[in-house]
Amino acid sequence: MASQVVKIALAGNPNVGKSTIFNALTGSRQHVGNWPGKTVEKKEGRLYLDGVDVIVVDLPGTYSLSAYSIEEIVSREFIIHEHPDAVIAVVDAANLERNLYLVTQLLELNVPVIVALNMSDIARGRGLTIDAARLSAGLNGTPVIETVGSNGLGLEALKQAIQQAAASREQRRAVIAYDAVLERELALLQNAIEAIPALTQRYQPRWLAIKLLENDEDICGRAVTDDALLAAARAAAERIESETGDDAETWITDGRYAFISSVVSSAVSRPREALETTSDKIDRILTHRIYGLPIFLLLMWLVFQMTANVSAPLVDWLDAVISGPLTRWTAALLGALGFGGSWLEALLTEAVIAGVGGVLVFVPVLIALYLAIGVLEDSGYMARAAFVMDRVMRLVGLHGKSFLPMLVGFGCTVPAVYATRTLEHDDDRRLTAFLVTFMSCGARLPVYVVIGTAFFGASSGSLVFGLYLLGIVVALATGWALKRTVYRNKPPQPFVMELPPYRAPRLRDVWRQTWSRTSGFVRKAGTLILATSIGIWLLMAVPTSGGAQFSAVAPEASLFGTLSKLAAPVFAPAGFGTWQASGALVSGLIAKEVVVGTMSQIYTPGTPDADQSEAPNLLNDLAGIGSSFGEALVLTAQEVVNIVPRTLNIVPGINMAEADFLGAGDQADDTTALEAALTQNFTPLAAVAFMVFVLLYTPCMVTISAMRHEFGRRFVLYQIAYTLMLAWIGAVIVYQGGLLLGFGG
Amino acid sequence: MTLDQLQSGQLATVRAVGGKGALRRRLMDMGLVRGVSIELVKAAPMGDPLEYLVRGYHLSLRRAEAQLVEIESSAPSA
Repeated sequence: MASQVVKIALAGNPNVGKSTIFNALTGSRQHVGNWPGKTVEKKEGRLYLDGVDVIVVDLPGTYSLSAYSIEEIVSREFIIHEHPDAVIAVVDAANLERNLYLVTQLLELNVPVIVALNMSDIARGRGLTIDAARLSAGLNGTPVIETVGSNGLGLEALKQAIQQAAASREQRRAVIAYDAVLERELALLQNAIEAIPALTQRYQPRWLAIKLLENDEDICGRAVTDDALLAAARAAAERIESETGDDAETWITDGRYAFISSVVSSAVSRPREALETTSDKIDRILTHRIYGLPIFLLLMWLVFQMTANVSAPLVDWLDAVISGPLTRWTAALLGALGFGGSWLEALLTEAVIAGVGGVLVFVPVLIALYLAIGVLEDSGYMARAAFVMDRVMRLVGLHGKSFLPMLVGFGCTVPAVYATRTLEHDDDRRLTAFLVTFMSCGARLPVYVVIGTAFFGASSGSLVFGLYLLGIVVALATGWALKRTVYRNKPPQPFVMELPPYRAPRLRDVWRQTWSRTSGFVRKAGTLILATSIGIWLLMAVPTSGGAQFSAVAPEASLFGTLSKLAAPVFAPAGFGTWQASGALVSGLIAKEVVVGTMSQIYTPGTPDADQSEAPNLLNDLAGIGSSFGEALVLTAQEVVNIVPRTLNIVPGINMAEADFLGAGDQADDTTALEAALTQNFTPLAAVAFMVFVLLYTPCMVTISAMRHEFGRRFVLYQIAYTLMLAWIGAVIVYQGGLLLGFGG
Repeated sequence: MTLDQLQSGQLATVRAVGGKGALRRRLMDMGLVRGVSIELVKAAPMGDPLEYLVRGYHLSLRRAEAQLVEIESSAPSA
């Protein structure tokens, strides 16, 4: 008995409280990943029931099991090919008709179904009463268990039903009787299917016959390749249409909903007058003709503040701990072991610890982002955000929900890439992520500020503003162009979207999702970030001229310097064809603000690093970490409070001066020597071209890792190639155009 | 008459769903089938998309999508 493993799938429409039931069943024994080759999140959890090991797979929320979205395909394929012992269909009592539509499709797949009838607050608010026994009888004896997500009621009964289903594997089938003409054709097709063993082994014949009549994209021509059968299906569909005047697809959907209506009318009693729910009242304000848009902008502004400012003190703290005490201790420990000053010390402190730090500093940012998104989604507002904004975003081929990732991109591109998860369709998600890198992130600002001030002094503000604007224009133009080329033959994704009832966000579920997504980033993107960090360190460590020592080599004499020299001529048409400039750009792959750091290292060498010379003192350091953590918490609270004056001071929109990411301000401290060096090495025109390049070129390695994590290698390669090309063209146009217009010199 | 021509608060009955492929499938999956009654709740601040009440839930459609649904209008629900 102990070795028995039972597999249960959890299915249901979006926003029905499915994840609450999943969390209640599996607790913390969860694993979050992606479905193989898909950008759809796959959640798996475990549950032990009297010695039975139960694996619970949370299928993506879908309204149907047709084959038009990845979520639907993923769910369907799992049920057909992985043969779960039972499928729990979570059904929202407030919205029984549409919810049961998915149930009818599950029943047609001939898999044992358990209906979890979730009595949401909304259902009770509407005064609905549902007779579970009658509902069960209407569904041909499918077990129906009432649950209340908010207090865990019905969970034990649900577990019992799982055990029963696993023990008996009893298949209950609610045969939906379709129209007579349809039934005649289904029977014919079913006979033809049963003659092909290869199909009957994998599919339920009646289900397959229905799919053939529906002309299901995934079945016709892919799962079924038998020409005679496909021809028979087409002939059947034609007969149905000519005899009845309606196509088979319509008849099938009608049949399912007619079945549902008869079940629902016997099991549900509702008050005679439809009550106006609290949700309706809230919605009247939030999507109001006049207030709707300002409220939307205000909420988006709050999310931006959360990711860009509220998380900043903790980011700075982590950064300080890692680059300060942690690095010092490691150096001290290595010194004690006799490796002091060796290449090993340099590798560990400069590449490994810095790389790990580069991953960890994003943890507070992502937690802030996922918390904000989670609250917006769980409360039901995110769908309204799309509703309010769709008109504008559609102009550039994007979805209403693309607005949020774009905005978050002004803070940092990494959370912006992850923010695309709120979009439902893969194409929308990819397109948005592709464009998000052109939103000038906070790390690019110090580059503009340092170079801008060096050349243009006080008037650099409008230059910086122009760069932000250029980024937006490039994103819009790219979106417009991609929609007409790459996505030309793809039909626009239907907007058809539920506006779910508002409710108080369930913070426990929001937090659980936040945590699992953030740790997913650390695990998946972390490895690549660490590898890149070590790779760039190696470039700097390997000497290319004789005499120099490994890991103790001036930048110019390293492999890094040599490669930079090779690359330099490429940038000559843009006015900055020096190895120093191209080297700074290469190092900007680590993080865009590093461009400034590298320039200052190359142009003004010999500035001693104060931190390194301090003798490490464990107690002092520990006390320092503790007190600075306290300070960081205070600062975080301060940032939360600061949102109010910041919001009141300015019109909701983008305030570039506030976007100071990763403590970039620290690096702009002592730059007068650098500014002098810059004015000697760049012409003002070349400096502008350089900044345009920094704006547009390849995103930093953390963004690249995040994109690879989300969209795979191919996507990242396209992204890198496109941004590099565009940045070069942009910089050359600025420089050459400027020369033609007489701004050279 | 098509679904996009309803006034706010006006009820109608669906007669047929046009369009094709994914869009048509999705409209029908969401419960827009012959005979179902549907009400226009309101339009978004910029006039598009539109919000409907159907089968007890709120559904949002772009104007272009609503045009594909043929309806018979009933008396105003007021």
